[in-house]
Amino acid sequence: MTFNAAALLLLIAGLALIGWLAGRARSMMLAGASGAKLHSRPQYHGWYVALWLFAPAAIFLAVWASVSPALITNSVLASDAAQNLPAFGFERGAILSDARSVAQGAQAAVRLPAAAPLVKPYADATQSYAWIGIAAMLALALAGGLYAFTRIKPDFRARTRVERIVMAILLLASLVAILTTFGIVMSLLFESIRFFRLVPATELLFGTYWNPQSGAAQPGTFGGIPLFWGTVLIGAIIAMIVAIPIGMMTAVYLTQYAAPTVRKWVKPCLEILAGVPTVVYGYFAALTVAPALRNFAVMLGIPNASTESALAAGIVMGVMIIPFVSSMADDSINAVPQAMRDGSLALGATPNETIREVLIPAALPGVMGGILLAVSRAIGETMIVVMAAGLSANMTANPFASVTTVTAQIVKLLTGDQEFDSAKTLAAFALGLVLFIVTLLLNIVALRIVKKYREAYE
Amino acid sequence: MNRQTAPTDWKGAAMQKRIAGRYAAERRFKAIGLGAVLLSGAFLAFLLFVMVGNGLRGFTYTNVEVPIDFAAMPLTVDASRLGDADADRAIANAGLADIVAFAADEALGADGSKLISENAWKEVRTAIKDDPALLKDKTVFHLPAASEVDIAAKQGAKGALGARVDALETDGKLSTGIHWSFFKNADATDPAVAGIWGALKGSVLTIFIAFLIAFPTGVLAALYLEEYAPKNRWTDLIEVSINNLAAVPSIIFGLLALAVFINWFGLCQASALVGGLTLALMTMPVIVIASRNAIKAVPPSIRDAALGVGASPVQVVFHHVLPLALPGILTGTIIGMARALGETAPLLLIGMRAFIGDVPGGVCSPSTVLPMQIFLWSDEVDRGFVEKTSAAIIVLLIVLLSMNALAIYFRNKFEKRW
Repeated sequence: MTFNAAALLLLIAGLALIGWLAGRARSMMLAGASGAKLHSRPQYHGWYVALWLFAPAAIFLAVWASVSPALITNSVLASDAAQNLPAFGFERGAILSDARSVAQGAQAAVRLPAAAPLVKPYADATQSYAWIGIAAMLALALAGGLYAFTRIKPDFRARTRVERIVMAILLLASLVAILTTFGIVMSLLFESIRFFRLVPATELLFGTYWNPQSGAAQPGTFGGIPLFWGTVLIGAIIAMIVAIPIGMMTAVYLTQYAAPTVRKWVKPCLEILAGVPTVVYGYFAALTVAPALRNFAVMLGIPNASTESALAAGIVMGVMIIPFVSSMADDSINAVPQAMRDGSLALGATPNETIREVLIPAALPGVMGGILLAVSRAIGETMIVVMAAGLSANMTANPFASVTTVTAQIVKLLTGDQEFDSAKTLAAFALGLVLFIVTLLLNIVALRIVKKYREAYE
Repeated sequence: MNRQTAPTDWKGAAMQKRIAGRYAAERRFKAIGLGAVLLSGAFLAFLLFVMVGNGLRGFTYTNVEVPIDFAAMPLTVDASRLGDADADRAIANAGLADIVAFAADEALGADGSKLISENAWKEVRTAIKDDPALLKDKTVFHLPAASEVDIAAKQGAKGALGARVDALETDGKLSTGIHWSFFKNADATDPAVAGIWGALKGSVLTIFIAFLIAFPTGVLAALYLEEYAPKNRWTDLIEVSINNLAAVPSIIFGLLALAVFINWFGLCQASALVGGLTLALMTMPVIVIASRNAIKAVPPSIRDAALGVGASPVQVVFHHVLPLALPGILTGTIIGMARALGETAPLLLIGMRAFIGDVPGGVCSPSTVLPMQIFLWSDEVDRGFVEKTSAAIIVLLIVLLSMNALAIYFRNKFEKRW
């Protein structure tokens, strides 16, 4: 008997359904018996009972599911069998979790002999706490349901009450976004502060040697500059050299020259480019583009050409971003008033001259904003660089060499087998914090530029 | 203002040349624009061409013809136990693997057992379980070839192996069939039996959980912000954080999930549950933004009419605005879900990178998703996995493109002009 949250949730949902039917039936019966007119329609009375039945029990369930494991462990530790466990530390935790997984049926037998005597106390505690939890939950559900049920009268304002609860739910839903942002900032900040206690922040930001060893922090090996350079080289230089001209010219062609039917067909095709998953781009870059580039580099006689190159990752990332740049440029060009374009054409300028001398300068702020957003996207992109750019931290301007980026290193630091508290894992969070701040600033600046420019013409 | 200028001679040679130059520049510019469009199209075509070219071969597999005479090599297993739950173990203990290897050696020569996959006997096992009568006489099985043989047969090979495969082919011992185990199995180290079913099921579970959380939350948040929220600092804060979340790199959500869901709440690592929660947080802002646009597009006259006949503000929204905005909301949701389905980076951080040889049983059991399977296979140097990876990519792209097509269909079908 374990504490199965999903099954219990279904159970109280079922009870709530019964409550809904009962509440509705009672309101109709009362109205029929007394001849009074109901204030709210019967289903609102039903909803009132169902909500009172469901909500307290569900909240209790959520709290209990997060609290009960600790309670179970405490009661096991208080039992006689736990007295000869080793003192705090990794071994103790391993024995406890071994006993727990056997007790809960996740594995057939104990792996550590010391865990064997703990299985029974664990099973007993799990069972008794499961019963306590279920009993308390059912009691809460019934109490809530009964309370609501007894309040049903013909003139009871059930609809107003239900609507108030609905509004509260709407407000809660919109708070999830704030909660997520808060969670991101807090988790990044906490772990980064722990990291900066081991390694000074100045080293991460200005150090030039990156080679984190597993285990203890070794100052002098956490210099982030090579990663930042690699990120800029791939995301802000190579990818943009590919994406900006192609994206811009595509937008110009599609808005100014292409026939409406062509535009109608080409735009969705470009959107496919944006919809291809990044892992596919990464595979494409690693399997097809990188070897081709390496052969090309060898042909040119470039030394240390690698199969994992900044150029391969950057080019493919640029292709991925083309539709993004193109749609941002498209929007900006379309926002330029038609009168400006017509004026230029009326003076005798060719379409080409109009575009270059009038439309693009007028659309430039919006295009710049779009480019900043594209850069922010490129430096946060992970899979392409993990698969195609390599993991060696080189500070090189040679695009054929292997470089590494912030995101690739986050993945590398967090996918080995290590303790969660080592400097290596904490470093990933510190890098995440840097990435978060940089992309946030880029987004804020870009959105401000785009917004300001929009207002100038509208 | 009485400066004298010579009148422009429009017909003069210099002027004609200048005009011709301007027209040439115009044509060049237009050609460059067309070139840019074609270049982006060419990238897409090349990408799809390479994937399909590599991947189609992954859907088929080379089988080797091996006759097994169970009358001569009796498999001592009680026929009545074949229906039991432990039939697999009973057959394995009876030494079927050795019998199959021996039969292969006998049929194909001394190295015969190396030409078929190590796991080929499992196919025989399945066949026996389906039809125990096979145990009494001689049957010709078409067993999956070893990975090298499969590659050699499909792409040609040099050296001893190539000659051997050519010889088998001229003897008519090789056949090609649809690679069913690719669709039925989970990941494995042997390309002959590795499949995508485990990853596909993991993807479905993960996306289902993400949808279950992100869709109601996103739509309700959008309703609140668009219909009821007062204009104050709090709603500004909500708005800013939603817009920012939509642009936060996906890997940051992986860090959040690792710190909060796994290390703080202690939820099951590498499971569809945590993966779904992570993707839900990631897609929620997308759904909110799309839903707000859809809700905004519902004309105020609808609201006024409903209010006018006495509906409460909650009734106005849930009875009138929401149903009218639903097609737009669904379009945005499908696009958001398609993006979440293709996402790999955040899942990498919550431990979904591990090798999972089983089809996931529930939301809390270790599982992997299709993009992660692609990523894991792309690391395999073994050439048999190149085809597998591309084939899995084809499956993923088909799923994603059909989701996007559905979204476009929705948009066109339910698009309303008020």
